[in-house]
Amino acid sequence: MEEVGKMVELISLILFFFGLYMIVSLSLNLEFGYGGIPNFGKALSVLTGAIIVGGILNRLLIWYFGVSGDFISASSIACYKLTEIIIQNPLVGLGIFLITVAMAMIAGAIVGALSILPSAKLREDYLGVTLLAISEVVFFITYYDVRIIGGYYGISAPDILAFIPGEYKIYAYTVLAIVTGLIIYLFLERLLNSPYGRVLRGHRENEDLIKAFGRDIMKLRIKTVALGSALASIAGVIYVFYSSNVTGNAFTRVEWTFYPFLILLLGGKGNNKGVVLGALLFVLIRILIEFYKFDIKELLHLPFEAVWIQYIFFGILALLVLCYRPEGLLKEKPIYTPPIKSKLQN
Amino acid sequence: MMGVIEGTIVWSNIIVLLALGLTMTYITTAVPNFAQASFAVVGSYIALTLLRFIGLDPYLSIPLTFIIGGLIGISTYYIALKPLIKRKASIEMLMIATLAWDLILFGIIGAYSEILGSLTKRTETLFVFTNLDFEVYGLPGRLIVSTMLVLLTIIGLYLLLYKTKFGIALRASMENPSLAEAMGINVENTRLFSWFISGSLACMAGSILPYLQEIVPQTGYFLIVSIFAASIVGGLYHIAGALIGGYIIGVSESLFTYLLSMFFGPGVLVYGKVISLIIMIIAILIIPRGVTGSILWRRLEKWLNL
Repeated sequence: MEEVGKMVELISLILFFFGLYMIVSLSLNLEFGYGGIPNFGKALSVLTGAIIVGGILNRLLIWYFGVSGDFISASSIACYKLTEIIIQNPLVGLGIFLITVAMAMIAGAIVGALSILPSAKLREDYLGVTLLAISEVVFFITYYDVRIIGGYYGISAPDILAFIPGEYKIYAYTVLAIVTGLIIYLFLERLLNSPYGRVLRGHRENEDLIKAFGRDIMKLRIKTVALGSALASIAGVIYVFYSSNVTGNAFTRVEWTFYPFLILLLGGKGNNKGVVLGALLFVLIRILIEFYKFDIKELLHLPFEAVWIQYIFFGILALLVLCYRPEGLLKEKPIYTPPIKSKLQN
Repeated sequence: MMGVIEGTIVWSNIIVLLALGLTMTYITTAVPNFAQASFAVVGSYIALTLLRFIGLDPYLSIPLTFIIGGLIGISTYYIALKPLIKRKASIEMLMIATLAWDLILFGIIGAYSEILGSLTKRTETLFVFTNLDFEVYGLPGRLIVSTMLVLLTIIGLYLLLYKTKFGIALRASMENPSLAEAMGINVENTRLFSWFISGSLACMAGSILPYLQEIVPQTGYFLIVSIFAASIVGGLYHIAGALIGGYIIGVSESLFTYLLSMFFGPGVLVYGKVISLIIMIIAILIIPRGVTGSILWRRLEKWLNL
C-alpha cells in the first residue's frame, strides 16, 4: 500500500513539473523556436513571477493585515492570516491566485519588453549575452539582498489552496499546473497559426525580408518577448505557491534557462507538440533521478551527491542532441494556410 | 584604503586574464564562451588538489594549471564546438553548446569537490588560500603574482603575435579567416591555439582567485557577468580590448562597491555586478564594438603607429 502511495506521489510530482516546464518551454519556443530570439535570460521571467508573490503580494498582505516587524517574519504571519481566511472561504484563494497571475503577467511583459530593447542595435550573440547577464545580475541581487524576496533565507508564500486537505494538495497543484500548461498550449497553437506566427517565422529566417515587407522588427520583437515573459512568469507564480515559500536559489540559470533550451532541442524547436513531448521526457528523467538519488548514490557507490551526475548527464545530452538531432524528436512542420491547402488539394 | 586598492588591482588582473581568453576565442571561433568562468573554477580546484596532496604552494602550481587549463580549453573546442561547426550550426546552437559544456564542467567540479572532501576528510566545497599568502615589503603576494602574470601574458602575446611568423599567420587568420585560408594558412591551428591560451589563462587566474575570495563550485556564476562585461566594453574584436575592458570593469566594480559599502554597510557586494551590467549595456548602446572598435581608438592606433 505504501509503495502504491509513493508511486502516485511520484507520478503527481512528474506531472506537476511537466506542467511548469511545459509553460516555460512553450514560451521559449515562441521566442526562440518561432522568433529566433535567443533569450538566454529566460530564468528572469520565471523569477519575475516569484518576485511578484514574494516581494509584492506579501507586502500587500502585510500592509492589509497591518503586521509589524521585519519583512521575513511579518510575511510569514501575514501569509498565515491569509491562509486562515482561505480555509473558510476558498474563493478568496482562487481570487488571490488570479490577481497574482495577472500582476505577474503584467510585470513579466514589462520586464521582457525592457530587456529586449538593447537588441535594436545588437546581433544574436551580443543579444544572448546581454539577456543572460541581465538575468544573472537580477538573480544575484534577489539572492543576496534578503530585503527583496527573502534571498537565501527564503520567505513564506500564502497557501492559496488551503481549503484542500493536506494530502490532496499536491494533486490540486498538479491539476493547476497541467491545466495552465494546456491553456497556454492551445492559446499559442492558435496564436502562432496566424499572420503573426508566420511573420515571426519569417523574422527568424530573414529579418531584412520582413523589413522589406514593411513590418517593424523592433515592435515584433518587443511584442514577442513581452508575451513570452508574461507566460513564463505564470510558471514562477505557480511554483512559488506550490512550494509555499520563495527561495532565491530556486531560480537559477540552469533550472530555468538551460533546461528549457534543452527541452526545445530535445522535442523540436518551432513545434509546440514537440516541445510538450520534450518537456515530458526531460521531467521524467529529471524527477526520476531526483526521486531515486539516494538509491543511485548507493548503487553506484558515488562518493558525491547524485545531483552533480544530473548536471553532467543533461549537459552531455544537450551536446548529443545538438550534434546528432538538432531538429529534435518532432520536426517543425511547414504551415498549411487555407489557400495553400486548397492549392494542394487541386 | 590600501586594502581596497590592492583588492581592486588583483580583481582587475583576474578579470583581464579571463577576458583575454574570452576575446581570443571569440575572434577565432566567433562564439561567446559561457564556460569561461568555469575554466577558472577548475583552475582553483587544480591548485587546491596540488596543495592538499603534495603540499605545493598554489603559486608554484601555476605552470601545471597553465597546461591543464590549456588542455581543457582545447577539449572544449574539440568536444563541444568543432562537431557543430562542421555541421554548420548557427551561432545560437554554438552558444547553447557552451552553456551545456559549462553545466558539464560545473557538475564535474561539484562532484570532484565532494570526492576531494572525502579523501582529505574536510569540507572542500568552500576554501580560501588567503592565509597562505606571502608578503614582500608589505605588498601581498597575490598583488605581485597577478600583476606579473598579466605583464608576462601581454609581453608573451605581443612577441608571439608581432615578432614571429606564426604570429603573422595567427593575426591574418583572426582578421580574415577565409583570405588567410586562401593564402595557405591553417586556420584550424589558430583556433586550437586560441582555445589553449583561453583555457590556460583562465585556469591561471583561477589559481590566484582563492587568495582574494572564497571559492565554491558556484563561483563561476559570480564571475561570468564581469568577464563578459570586460570583453564587451573593451571590444570583442581586438585582443587589447580585454585588457582595457578588464581594468575598466574591475576598477569600477570594486571601487563602486567600496563606496556603496561606506554608505550602506557590507552586504552590498552583489550590487557591484549591477555596475558591470550598466557599463556593459551603455557600452553596447554607444560603442557596439567596444572601446577598441571606436573611432578614437583607431586614431590612437594610427598615432602610435601600431
